[in-house]
Formats: sequence, structure tokens, C-alpha cells
Amino acid sequence: MTDQSPILYEIIRSRLMAITEEMRIALQSVSGSPTVTDASDFFTGLFRPNGDFATMGFQVTYQAPVVGHLIRHINAAPDKYRPGPGDMFLGNDPYVGALHQNDVQMCGPIYAGDRIIAWAGVEAHETDVGGMDFASWSPKARDVRQEGFRVPCMKLIDAGVLREDVLDTILTASRLPDQLGLDIRAFIATINVAQNRIDQLVARYGAEVITGVMERMIDGSEARVRARLADLPDGTFRATDFLEHDGHDNRLYRISVAMTKTGDRLTFDFSGSSPQAPGFVNCTRSGLEGGVAGAMLAMLAYDVPWNEGVLRTAAIEARDGLICTAQFPAPVGAATVEAIWVVSNVAVAAINKMLACSAGHAHRAQAVSSGTMATFNLGGVNQYGEPFGLHLMDPLAGGSGAFADKDGICAGGPINAPMPSIADVERNELVAPLFYLYRRMGHDTGGAGAMRGGRGVEIGLTLGGISEAEALIMTHGAEVPNTAGGFGSWPGATVTQAMVWGGVEAGARATGETESFGPKPGLMRMTDRDLFCVTWQGGGGWGDPLDREPEAVRADIASGAVSPEATLTLFGVGENEDAATTARRRSDMRAARIGRAPSSAEVSGRTRMSIGPNLRVVELDGAYHVVSAAGARLSTDHTRWREGAITVDLTGETGAQRIALHEDLRMTGYYCPLSGQCLAIDVHERDGLPADDIDLALP
Amino acid sequence: MLSRNGASGHPGYYERSRGSVGIDSQNRVFHVGTDVGGTFTDLWVSDGAGPARVFKTPTTPDVMTGVMDAVALAAGTLGLSIGDFCVRIRRFGHGTTVGLNALLTGTSARTGVIATEGFGDTLEIGRIRRQTSGLSEYEVTDFHLHNRYPPIVPRHLVREVRERVDATGRVLIPLDEAQAGAALEELAEAGVEALAICTLWAQANPVHEARLKDMAREVLSDAFLCVSHKIAPVVGEYGRMATTAANAALGPVAGRYLSRLEQSLRDHGMTVPLLVMTNAGGVLPTSALNDRPAFTLFSGPAAGVIGSRVMADRLGRDNILTTDIGGTSFDVGVIAEGRPLASTEFSVAGADLRLPSIDIASIGTGGGSIASVEFGDLTVGPRSAGSTPGPVCYGRGGQEPTATDADLVLGILNPDDFLGGRMRLDTEAAREAIETRIARPLGLDTIRAAWGIREILDNNMADLLRRVTIERGHDPLTFTLLANGGAGPSHAWSIARELGLGGFVVPAAATAHSAFGCGTGDLGMSESTAVYVRVRHGERPSDAALGAARDALERIERVVTYHLAAAGAEGDVTLERFAAVRFRGQTNALDVPFGGAGFDATIYDTVIDGFEAAYERLFGRGAGYRQAGFEIVELRVSGTAALAAATATGHGDTPRAHGSRPVVFDDPDAPVDTTIYHVDYPAPDSEVHGPAIIEFPGQSVVVPPGAIARADAYGNLHVTLEARP
Repeated sequence: MTDQSPILYEIIRSRLMAITEEMRIALQSVSGSPTVTDASDFFTGLFRPNGDFATMGFQVTYQAPVVGHLIRHINAAPDKYRPGPGDMFLGNDPYVGALHQNDVQMCGPIYAGDRIIAWAGVEAHETDVGGMDFASWSPKARDVRQEGFRVPCMKLIDAGVLREDVLDTILTASRLPDQLGLDIRAFIATINVAQNRIDQLVARYGAEVITGVMERMIDGSEARVRARLADLPDGTFRATDFLEHDGHDNRLYRISVAMTKTGDRLTFDFSGSSPQAPGFVNCTRSGLEGGVAGAMLAMLAYDVPWNEGVLRTAAIEARDGLICTAQFPAPVGAATVEAIWVVSNVAVAAINKMLACSAGHAHRAQAVSSGTMATFNLGGVNQYGEPFGLHLMDPLAGGSGAFADKDGICAGGPINAPMPSIADVERNELVAPLFYLYRRMGHDTGGAGAMRGGRGVEIGLTLGGISEAEALIMTHGAEVPNTAGGFGSWPGATVTQAMVWGGVEAGARATGETESFGPKPGLMRMTDRDLFCVTWQGGGGWGDPLDREPEAVRADIASGAVSPEATLTLFGVGENEDAATTARRRSDMRAARIGRAPSSAEVSGRTRMSIGPNLRVVELDGAYHVVSAAGARLSTDHTRWREGAITVDLTGETGAQRIALHEDLRMTGYYCPLSGQCLAIDVHERDGLPADDIDLALP
Repeated sequence: MLSRNGASGHPGYYERSRGSVGIDSQNRVFHVGTDVGGTFTDLWVSDGAGPARVFKTPTTPDVMTGVMDAVALAAGTLGLSIGDFCVRIRRFGHGTTVGLNALLTGTSARTGVIATEGFGDTLEIGRIRRQTSGLSEYEVTDFHLHNRYPPIVPRHLVREVRERVDATGRVLIPLDEAQAGAALEELAEAGVEALAICTLWAQANPVHEARLKDMAREVLSDAFLCVSHKIAPVVGEYGRMATTAANAALGPVAGRYLSRLEQSLRDHGMTVPLLVMTNAGGVLPTSALNDRPAFTLFSGPAAGVIGSRVMADRLGRDNILTTDIGGTSFDVGVIAEGRPLASTEFSVAGADLRLPSIDIASIGTGGGSIASVEFGDLTVGPRSAGSTPGPVCYGRGGQEPTATDADLVLGILNPDDFLGGRMRLDTEAAREAIETRIARPLGLDTIRAAWGIREILDNNMADLLRRVTIERGHDPLTFTLLANGGAGPSHAWSIARELGLGGFVVPAAATAHSAFGCGTGDLGMSESTAVYVRVRHGERPSDAALGAARDALERIERVVTYHLAAAGAEGDVTLERFAAVRFRGQTNALDVPFGGAGFDATIYDTVIDGFEAAYERLFGRGAGYRQAGFEIVELRVSGTAALAAATATGHGDTPRAHGSRPVVFDDPDAPVDTTIYHVDYPAPDSEVHGPAIIEFPGQSVVVPPGAIARADAYGNLHVTLEARP
């Protein structure tokens, strides 16, 4: 690195950020894909010659490491790919570095003289890249070769000239060649913008300065995240989540992380996850890295510039052949919404458990948001007589997880995109043959807690302007509550999806016959008389719902967020009652949890740290104890406090929270033995309780 | 968010023409422009003969008092009674942020919403992007900061009614009037003062909205009623509903304010109507705006751009970058080929508003931007000290050095004559703050650290100027840079040079450019209509689609012509037509201007040709993809009619040298002895050679070594930089 003044560094750093923003605008303006223009499922960024990203836009964060893999792939075989000035490469192979085949990437080297000084990279989710089923997601696939086409890497632009023959080959494989064609042109425009701007910078400041700045940007973000980590407590934080149904069978798959923080380093160990599945729910190692990246950027680098430096602070451990490190030729078509999404859920949960144990960060610790992205794809001939294919983005509108200091956002969506968006109902009805009966908040979907999870949205729709089409319906999280709550809160509701055959008559609701679906009903014909109804997951809550302010609960009733029945069952608050009645009921409910009247005890000793809102680590007589708010001593010499709590099986009690549980799952509540305060609710496998989730390194 | 942040409140004063003001003949008439900012209410006045004058009074909480104070101050200074002044006013233009502030602070009217059954949560769902509204690019990555603004109308004031129209305008479910009546009764009981009616596809068939409005007139007879198909006839129920709700919420507030102001001016003898600046950049009489107050939300910033356009016309320039550096933001308007760049959507207080408006790009960089060092990196902004506590040199408790502190240390600002001498600056405190917080941690000397702060600030601003031109297919070198606002003229030399421009212009009314725009802009109105022409590759648009587009276009042309005539258009009305075009399947459309009359297959071809040319210019050769086919989704008509405008010309003073001080320009190690000039209103052709700083009341124009500043006949100062090798 050359010697830059801090002034020159800052000037060029800002310019590189401005160029990245220009790239985003170029791509988003030109793209024809709703996944790009609305859901921002795309990536733009500038890379160092070795594939490390120095900048990225505010897009789907799972994609952060992806284009870097393509660049490294080219670097590893220079004689094969022969990069030169004006070249651009295209790839989409999940066994090279894509998340799944729909993620088409392009990158172009940027030269100073005869030397590559940087790369411009771009990627977007394409609705259809061929394969046996529309949208390239096939529940029936058993082999990646049955899914969308795979391009490890090929030169699409050769010294500035578009290879039309190659482009034709790609477009021919897609059911939506126009959309893909527009997007590939958008990619080219985007890389052109970057090459052009960087050329100008190089001409003015020299290549050494530009490469030096990119390197320093990455180092700077690494230093900032390391400083944050050093400030957080050491220990091991565990989280487990599940996805159900692999496309063939309704089997349960586990994704489990043990995150260990030591000093300024993190290790994510996924060894406890299930072996790879025979269906399309897997992800490759690049998907695993993407899921972890998504969690780290949002939860640890919220005020740090996003680049490779953030990711350098963590190591990922997982052997080959797991559901999150699937080996060729395992199918991975639905990786982004299945295994990767769940990887991100557990990484988010583990990081937030760590934040909840830090005085400086506890207030912003957050439960899991929008634990799934359900799929509704539709194909056929549209109201304009054209073949069409649509990948509905509305399912992004799940609820956000509650924060320690405030409720989750209703329709807040997932944490994998900082600026998510869905299209208006009217736009969807104009350009696609859809007709909505409703798009509204789903009541009782947000996890019940002292802070309530955000509500998920629900829609009911049929066809508009056409009489029939083929739908692909699938999700995980119909029988797994993926949005884990924090410290005694409920998770958000599970997904419900159903078809009411004959449920619509001339745009109005008719009786019809309701068929409730499991997680992956798959492909089916539907007509303009059938009503598809789906409710997406709400966010997890935070803290014991019996600790929620009664006024806040009554506001939830007024806004329709919580039904009067659920208010009573979960929060212990009646609609029109005085404070004493509420207090009495809540006390009775706590007593019922532990089988005796609530009490408390005095605890002396010094509080050394907090674990979430209601547990403290107290030093007394030379030993460390985890003590509850009511003064119950739960564990000594370690923080695996569950050993001192009262456990209750909640598996049969999930109705009020609109949770359905897979037959292999159980739910267990942990209560303070003195007060009956709920300290944790775990979702776990039938055969036994999970390992303790917070194991702090005590001095 | 756009915000203006100036200095603290002071008694009224006037800038320019501080000397004696003669009382002229009895037939003197005045053109007046006013603009209410967060701190000051500006008034620009011209009698068409001598130099125009600018007056400033503190903005008052009720807003109106501040405006009337400015009028009284102007009258008094002109040697007239307020009545004698008002009766001579031939034009009174007005811009205000009353509506904007009401929305941002939640002090607008209690508003109810009527929505289609099943869609009552539309405002809260907010396309799930409501949560990031109002967040800067530095804030969006922090989910803990999301959801800053609640829905513009709370859910308990939203009622659903049973009805449904489809995308083609067909009524599928007739309006359930009994249920709708009950819903309106409930809202009446809830005490709503305004009602927004927004049903699905009302822009395609307004029959239900119209009926609901009739019913509401009975039940909510005193409430301010708005229907979405009139306020924002666009496809997209969230933006349409948010716009209608914002408009409804503002109706009782802004409408009341404008009528009171107009009445008060009439009581003092004014005979002309009050003209209000709209977001789209034309002025309209209050009568045309009473039912659509949301159209004036951004009147201040729009007026600034319009003022620049008026000036550009007079100077014979087509391409203008008009900039304003305030305390907390840097705002840029772009005029390309004589036309201000427009947008059709903006976001305010958590609501997407779908209204035609002048596009203003903004970053949170200004005089109050805080410089800091973390992890060895120097950054300037995005945090701002604002005006409270303000820069360290204000002596109001600010501890962190700002861009203004750097300017002071570099000699750009005069510690004894800041803001026309109304404030003394503490140079020593500024130097100390930069020394301890910036220079020492970086191992630099204090002057170099201050110089670095300015370099970073100016480069950030130049980045924005590049972005707004280049990314829209324009070459910044073909633009003239106008420097407005308090700090604009002291940074323009460095920004211009960074962009490679040969110079910049400081408008005569640089410190009150919005008031100038309100006092000089043309009558103007924009109206848009949703259409849908969808054409596959190789095919032609259907006659039905073309016919529908033609009918829609003629309808909005009639609306625009009618309103402009009613507004007292003098002479011809000029209509410009735009089509929003995209490749089939895209989300974003480009606005393509087109000529001719009506809309037929020939005009369609012209529009498509224009689209492909514009597309290529924007995104590069080969980016277009006609195989995808085309869609036309919206037509817009923008009408303007000239108003007689005052052309202030004439005399002024010669800038007087007033000592010198060392100022740091390019080399932090070699401050240059720089002559300081004072002038209120420079006489035509008066010239100052750099290095010089020309101190006006309220601003300092920096003329670097080798540059020459020359005043033109209107009092604008043209600064030509030395050509660099």
C-alpha cells in the first residue's frame, strides 16, 4: 500500500462508495426482474484483484461473498479464462460460488495498463434459468442436473464485444428469455459504469492509490468489527432451527450453530447440522457463507462499511455433506429460501444472544425476523395472451423480530436486505393475471413477549383475466416456528397456506372447499374460481409476555394485532378490566406454571453481567451464580442456567400463537422456580432437550 | 430529508441595498416573493427599476406573523406604510414549509381513511419499505433505526368498505352503501377533521370513490374530503393512498393558513391573488390549491430551482446546477436543456407521495457537518452539529469541530463579520478543537487538518454533482454552477475546480433564492394520468389502447388549461407532454417528452424512438432490449404561462477593499494574503481580482488566486477561475 494521507483516502473512499451507488442505480433502473427492482435480490460491488469485496450496495446480504468466488475461480485458472481488458464473465454455478443457479453473476476486470487493479461485480436473482419446472425450483429434483442450467464461468464479453452466440445459448435455456435478456444487458451497463468511473480515478490519482484505498477500506472495517467483538463477552452461544420437507418427504432437517467468541474472533461451527437432503432444500458451502455473512453484516456491522473485512473476523467450521455443505450432485434449487435462510436464522439468533449479554449492546438485541420466504410461483398464458412466469415477492412481508427495547415491525420483513420492498397490489394485478381478495396483517402472528414480534402479512388471491394457470406452492416453516423469541418470549406464528377450491365467485368470496396444505404441496392447476390463502410468519418476541405493559396489550387489541382470546391466554390481560384484575390473573398464571404461589428471595453479591432482561451473573463468596430477577439461584460456576429452571412441555399449547408443530418437534418452556417468570421457550427435537444456549466464559 | 438550517433568530434586517432608499414616484409597483424557512422568512422585492432587495425576519411559530413582519419591514424600509406598499403589489409569490412541518411533527389534522375491504392495512404495510423512509444511507443498515415514522394515518382511523373494481375498471362488487354509511358514521364519531377516500382501481373507474365522497359530504359535512383518483391518479394503491391521506391531513392546516395570509394581505390593500409555489415548480393562486395542499409541500426547494431557471433564462444558459449549502444539507437542483429535472415520487414522514415535483438531490453535508477521527480515518459528516449547539466557533457549547470551524481557521470566514456582523466567531476555540480532535490524532498540523476537512467536504459535494449529471447522461462540463445559501459562495470555487468547471455564478439573491423564485416564476401546473399501452416485440399498439391514451391525454390537457386560465394566465399557455415508457416487464419507466397533438400510432413511434435514444444515453450502447417489447404507463402534461416579471437592473456600489488577511487556498503550508472587499450590491461590470474574499451581508464569495469576479447587469457575480494546465 502506498502512503496516502488520511485526506486523500477519505476522498477516494467516498468516490468508490458513490460509484457503487451508481452501479446499483444502473442495475435497478434497467432490470426487468421484480426480484431486482422490488426485493433488491441482487448485488453490486467493487472487488480487489484477489476477489475480496471492498464495497457493496444495500442489497440482499447473502450475496455479499458470491461474486468473489467467481473472481477467485477465474484467478485459479488464468490460462483457461484468459481475462483481458474489456472482458466480462458470467457464471451461476452453486458448486463454484453461486447460492443457487438463479443467481446469475457477471464480473469484469478493471485494468491499469496491463495489470488488473480491481474487478466490478454484479449479480441478480433471475426468475427462470431453465430446468424441469418453472422458476428452476423443482420439488421433485434429486440431482442438480435436473435443475436450472449451470455455467461455472464463461466469457460473455470478449474485449468489449458481446458474444451473441453465447448469449443466445443462455437465453434459450430460460422460460423467460426477455426478462433474462434485459437483466444481462443491465449487468453489462452496470459493469461499464464501474469500469468507466474507475478508469477516471486511476487517470487522476494513479492505480497504486486506488488499490491502496480499497485495501485500507477492508482493513478499516475489519478493525472496527474486531473492536466491537473485543467489547462483547467471550463464550459459546448456540442456536438451532429446522426446515421441514425436502420436496419428496416431510422430513425434518436441523441446522445448528455453536458460535464461539474469543477476544476479537468468532467461530461459527455448524457440525451439529443434519446430513444433506435428497431434495432441493440444501445449500453448498457458498450458501453457508452467504447465510452467515447476512447475519454478521446486519447484526455486527450495522454502522460499519460493508466489505470483506467484516467477514474476516469469523471462521466457519462444518464438514462436507451437511445440509448446509451439500456435495455435488445434490440439488440446491431452493437453497436461498431453505437452507441458507435457516443458516441465517441461527446465526442471527446466536449473535443476538451474545449482544444480550453485553451492557452496551443489550438494548438492541433482536429476536429472529421473518424466518422463511414462502414461494408462490405462477405460470401459463397471461391476460395479454403472452406466456408468463411470476415469482411473487409479497412473501417477504413477514414480521420483524422484537428488539429488547421495542416491538418488532409489522411487515418489517427479513434482515437479509436493508431496504426491502414489495410491489403494490395494483401493479401485480396490472402486469400479471392476479386478483387479490385481501392483503393485510395477520393477527396473532407476532411472537408474544414483553416486546411483541412484528406481525406477518397474509394474502388471499385468485387469477384475474385468465381462467387457469399452474401454481408452485412451497415453504418451510409451516410446521416449524422459525422466528425464535428471546428470553422467555414465544416465537412468531408458523406459515399457514391453503387453497379454497371454488372459493371465489366473480371477484367475491364464495364458500368453496378448503384444503389446508403442508409445507410443500408443490405444483398444481388453479382456476379463477380458486382462492389461495397464505399467512406468513410473524417475528419472534422478547421477554416473558406476562411482563408486557397491560396498556400495550390493550393497544394490540385495538389495532387488531392480537385477538382478545390470545391476549387472555398468552398475555393474561382482559379487554376491559382494572389493573388489579390483570395483576391477579397474571399471578395465577405464573403460579400455574410452577405449581406454587410466586415468591422471591433476597440475593447479595455483586452483579458482574446480565444475561438478557431477567438473568444476572452474580459474584458471591468467590463463585459465580446465575440468578433470576426473583432471586432464584439457577446455576453456579457456569451459565448453563436451565438446570435450575422448572420446565414445562408447551407442545400442546401452541394454538393461541398460531403455531403448528412438525410431529418430530416439541416445545419446552423454562420458568423461574420462585416467580414463575418465563426465561426461555425452546423448539427442539422430540428425543431430548437441546444443549444450553449461553455458555459464558467466566473470569 | 430536505431541511434548511441557518443562523439563529435575530431581529429583522435586510440584505442588499443597506444604504439609503429613496422614495420614488407615486406609480411605483412591486413584485414580491416570500419564502418561509425553518429559521428565517425571506422576502424579495423588486420595483422593476433599481436593484431588487432582500429582507429577512425570524420565522414565527404561526408562520403568518413572520411573513407579515417581513412585509412591514420591507414597506418601512421603502418608506411606505404597509397599506401603501400592499396596494402597489402587482404580484405576491409565496413558498412555505408549513405543510411539511405539520407532517413531520404530526401536527396535521385528524384524518380518516376509507379503503377497499381487505386492504385497510395498506398504509401500515407500506410496501414494507415505509420502515426505511427518512433514513439516510448511513442509517438503513441499522435495523434498530428502522420504522422511524408510523403510518401516516393510524389503523384505528381506517375503515374498510365492501366494493371492488378490477384492473380494467370493471365493477366486480358494487359498493355496499349501508356498510359504507356506517363506516363514515364511525369516523365522524371518532372526530376526524379530514377524510381520504382511496379504493382499489379508482383511477380506472372512480364511480365508487365519487359515491363515497357524496355520502361523506352528508355525514362529515365539516371535514376536508379528498378522493384518490383526483389527488394522485396513478397505479399503485400505497402511494395513491398515502398521497391522498397526506393531502387530507394538510387540508385543514395549510388551507386555513393560506386563506388567512391572503385575507390579511387583502385587508392591507393588496389587490392581486396570492400565488403559491408548487412542488412541480409553477406558481398557482390559492384558489387552485385549496383542495390539493400536498402539491405545495416542497414549495421552498422547488422555488429555489425555479429562481435559478429564471436567472438562467436571463443569462442565456440552458444547463444549470443550482446548489445550496446550508447548515445540515447540501441540496442540488438540475436544469438540463432549460428544463428542471422532475420526479414523480418522493418520500416524506414515512409516506411515499406520488406527485410530480422538481427533483432535488440532497446529502447530509453542510457547514455543521462534524469532522471526526476514528480508527485513524478522517470523516466529515454525516453527523451534524446543526445550529444547536452548532460549530465550536459559535460558542454555544459545540465541542466537535465542523466544516464551518475549518473555514474559519483557514481564513475564509471573518470572525467579526459573520452573518452580516450579527455574530462573532471564536477562532481560537475552532483552532483548538481541530488541533486536539483532528490534527493530533492524525499527526498533521492544524492548518493541514482544517484544509483536509474542507477538501473532503468539497469532494463529497462534487461527488453528488457528478452523480446527478453523469448518471442521467449529462456531461457536467456543459453546466453552469450557481452557488446559493450562506456557505455556497465560499465553497463554490473548490467544487467547480474539482468538477473541471471554468467558474461559477453567485446570484444576486443567493441568500434568498427561493423567495426570488416565488417572486419571478411562471404560472405552472402538472397533471398526470395512468394509461396502459402494452406492445409486444414486432407488434403495433391496438387502436383501443391508443384511443384510451388519447382520451386521457386530452382530459388532463383540459384540466391544466382550465386551471391556468382561471389563475389569470397572461398570453399563451405552453403545454409540454411526457410519456412514462419502459421495456415490457420493467418496473421503472423513463419520462419521454413528445410533441404533436393527440396520441396516435405516429406519436407512439416518436415516443418509442425518444425512449430508446434516452435509454441508450443513460445506460450505454447496447443496454436497450427492444425484443422485450414496450409499455407506456403514464402520460403527463405540464403547462406554463408567463407572468409579467420584474427585471431588476441597474446600479450598485463598487466593492470596497477593507484590509486583508491570510487565507489558505490550495497549499496548506502557504496561506495567501487576500484582500477583503465589502459590498452590498455590486454595480454592473464591477470587477474584483483574486485572491479576494467579497463579503456580502450574509455570505462570503471566495475568489481564489488567478480568478476574476465580475458583476452583471442584474447584480449576479460571475467568478471565472484561472485556466489550469
